Amino acid sequence: MDNQYISVGTREVNSDSSMKSVGAACYIDDIRLPRMLHCAILFSPHAHARIKHIDTSKAEALDGVRGVIHCFNTPRNLYNSAMRFYTDTSPSDMPKTEMIFDPVVKFVGDRVAAVAAESEDIARKALSYIEVAYEELDAVTTLEHAMQEHSPQANPAGIDGTNVCGAAVAYGSGSEQEVLLEVSQSPVRLTSKFRTSRVHHAYLEPVCHIASYTPDGHLAIWTSGQNVFCFRDVLSEALGIPQNRIRLIKTTCGGAFGGKLEVMHEPVAALLSKATGRPVKLRLNRREVFSSTRCRHEALITIQSGVHADGTLAAQHVHSALNTGAYATSGPNTAGAQSGKTFVMYRAKHMFYNGTPYYTNTPIAGAMRGYGCPQLMVSREAHLDRIARALSMDPVEFRLKNALEPYAENCMGKPMHNARLIQCIKEGAERFEWKRRREEARTGQGTKARGIGMGAAAHGAGWYPVYQDMTSVTMMMNNDGSLQLLTGIHDLGTGAKTVLAQIAKEVLTVPLDLIQVIEADTAVAPLDLGAQASRSTYIGGNCVKECAEELKRQLTKEATGLLEQEESELSVKGMHVHCTKTGRSVSFADIVDSAQKGTLGPQRQIGAFRSFCSREAVYSYSAVFADVEVDTDSGEVEVKEMLSVHNSGTVINPALAEGQVHGGVHMGLGYALSEDMMIDEQTGKVENPTFKKYRLFRSHEMPRIHVHFLEEPEESGPYGAKSIGECATDGVAGAIVNAVSHALGGADIDRIPMTPEYLKSLIRR
Amino acid sequence: MGDKTCVSFTLNGEPRSLELEPRWTLLHVLREVYNLTGTKFGCGTNDCGSCKVLIDDNPVNSCVYPAKKLEGKRVLTIEGISSDKRYMHIPQAFVNAHAVQCGFCTPGMVITALGLLLEDPDPDETKIRSYFTGNLCRCTGYVNIVEAVNLAAGRSTHG
Repeated sequence: MDNQYISVGTREVNSDSSMKSVGAACYIDDIRLPRMLHCAILFSPHAHARIKHIDTSKAEALDGVRGVIHCFNTPRNLYNSAMRFYTDTSPSDMPKTEMIFDPVVKFVGDRVAAVAAESEDIARKALSYIEVAYEELDAVTTLEHAMQEHSPQANPAGIDGTNVCGAAVAYGSGSEQEVLLEVSQSPVRLTSKFRTSRVHHAYLEPVCHIASYTPDGHLAIWTSGQNVFCFRDVLSEALGIPQNRIRLIKTTCGGAFGGKLEVMHEPVAALLSKATGRPVKLRLNRREVFSSTRCRHEALITIQSGVHADGTLAAQHVHSALNTGAYATSGPNTAGAQSGKTFVMYRAKHMFYNGTPYYTNTPIAGAMRGYGCPQLMVSREAHLDRIARALSMDPVEFRLKNALEPYAENCMGKPMHNARLIQCIKEGAERFEWKRRREEARTGQGTKARGIGMGAAAHGAGWYPVYQDMTSVTMMMNNDGSLQLLTGIHDLGTGAKTVLAQIAKEVLTVPLDLIQVIEADTAVAPLDLGAQASRSTYIGGNCVKECAEELKRQLTKEATGLLEQEESELSVKGMHVHCTKTGRSVSFADIVDSAQKGTLGPQRQIGAFRSFCSREAVYSYSAVFADVEVDTDSGEVEVKEMLSVHNSGTVINPALAEGQVHGGVHMGLGYALSEDMMIDEQTGKVENPTFKKYRLFRSHEMPRIHVHFLEEPEESGPYGAKSIGECATDGVAGAIVNAVSHALGGADIDRIPMTPEYLKSLIRR
Repeated sequence: MGDKTCVSFTLNGEPRSLELEPRWTLLHVLREVYNLTGTKFGCGTNDCGSCKVLIDDNPVNSCVYPAKKLEGKRVLTIEGISSDKRYMHIPQAFVNAHAVQCGFCTPGMVITALGLLLEDPDPDETKIRSYFTGNLCRCTGYVNIVEAVNLAAGRSTHG
């Protein structure tokens, strides 16, 4: 890229890394407040039960115990922990199904009671002294069971006595009948059923909160959550405290990936702080993190496609059943997000999506990087390879024939902006030497079978068109010309703060070490809708750019008086306003000084506030390529090499963007091959709640990863930027599934993770 | 309680004597007794490496290391590395290699990097990857962590 920018496109270091690398960054668990108590939660051992009675007398008698709460002494206000706006504008229903303590527990890991004590040890010990009388209820522990017509209800919020959560999301280019008819009338028809597993975010920092309720009726909460304004509003509703008295402070976040987007156990810490009059810290252990936080929706996806003999997709119908677990939270929204991605990649004229979340008595599913997309992408990319096989077409050729072109209209009549899916696939195939590798892979040796596969993906940049998307930014210039940038955007370690500062620098020329980014504190920062929907760069960046431009106007205007020149003669360079005509310039510091002294008018501060609202449906694209080796005896897969090609628009910071892709590949590899939260069907318990048994890819198992960005700018993005966070993981599993299938001579893979046991059974077939 | 033990050891170069409860872990001692919060609690089950410290130059998961075994040992934590001129280039290599995202695993990674470089100042990539097998990272795919170790090795070779 020609270097037209001073800051955009530079490989700046992630802002907090010098603190983090020496252990000086302060995560929540590192905060110690005076007189702070420690909290532990008693979680349900039953998948579904009514609490008849709780006796806390023995626990309360224990030395060091300061408070015990449960469903019989706390408010029972209903809320939805995934609420996005104070007034919910979602087209999908967001049912309020949660209470802080519900007298009917609905999964193993649901909250029963909580203790605050002088130490975590005492609090945990006290839990074992709480006596609970349960009446066990019929439980539904599998998605298939939940979908059956006469199954028991996992949650009474299910529609019309069923386990349907909210309403089905069903729409398409025409009616469902019309689309199915188009499928059935096509010369080549294919139906694929695919299962994707429940996986966990596996952020390294366990969920941790601190709550401090003060005698004046104010509540402060420290969280590493992703959506502090939403948390404030949900807590206000759940606790009945006005929003002005609740302050949510996001601390340094030790990884989230969507897993800290929804309100977790903050209300418990808040109630205990209120009850004891002391600050309360809650930190889950890893076992509890697996069972009692959030996970990705398990999915059963059926795709029917009708194809012309020449390989043109004619029609496609996607049916999706999602396991939302015990409570609604993000369920309906996840189906909604999944539906949107159905229509933005391929050109079939007739397409329909029909998706339903179901309640089960299992851990709560919620937001996770990709948000419904990885399930759809892996299922459909595997399905597309099946079609290509049926037509004896090369998978790359087949996709190129069917991918949407830039600026085309999709089957829904929506404009596709600068959508570069075709270019991602083409360039990826060339760089990966697709043809050579596919050819070479034919000649496997012994029990090692080599396979080459690809998968593609799309993801949005912000919420629109599902919701309106907006954020606000405040920027104030200090006396020395340095900047304060206040934003509600949350940096989860991704580098969002760095990217926003780079955009501010691009406009104002202020170096990054003179920009203080203050993030996500409801008492200080302006409103934002959270770190989600791959929105931080596109939405936050647009807002910062507009706010910085406003600040620049103020500086320039003040300079017109100081330099006695028209605005049109002035430009900004190196923290000065310059006059090209006279060669004179004035520093930002002097301009600020002039404004504050009121040299040219009333005394004032140089500062700007802007809101930005997006009304563009913009998508980023990826094409992922994989070279794998399958041991046909053991069923083990070794991923040798991968290439991930991205169309994210202009890349503001290539080093950070590459980092997103590296991590996205890691998460996608686990999804494809090793990660699975296994639930015991009898008890509803998570069978593998440790990193020993829940297998993340480790350093020696990772392939060589190549990343390439097509820097095709998006007109509506800040300096042409789109998004990367979720697109980085969406397409990975599809590439691995198709590569493994290729290694096994075109085997029809119908689930992930592809464990050795599964692959062995497939090979035997 | 009751049966307290006393241990003497070195912590980041300083001699320490501590009366402790028998079931305390080293991680508990570091975080709760000495307020050395750079060492992180990630799993508590010896699986993730976020709590790694060096004991007599070997990386150890402090979350399962019984504090009573500390007698006579030399413990180095991330705080010790960052204030030691011999080792400061290692965290700096993590910064320069863009190996830090959420940063929660980073102190454990830096400790492990030092453990490796003390053992082998010029490790190849295979050696690095196998040495880091006990350290989980969810953000980076380990790509830039391996790069950081390479960078740190390069610098230490050149003094």
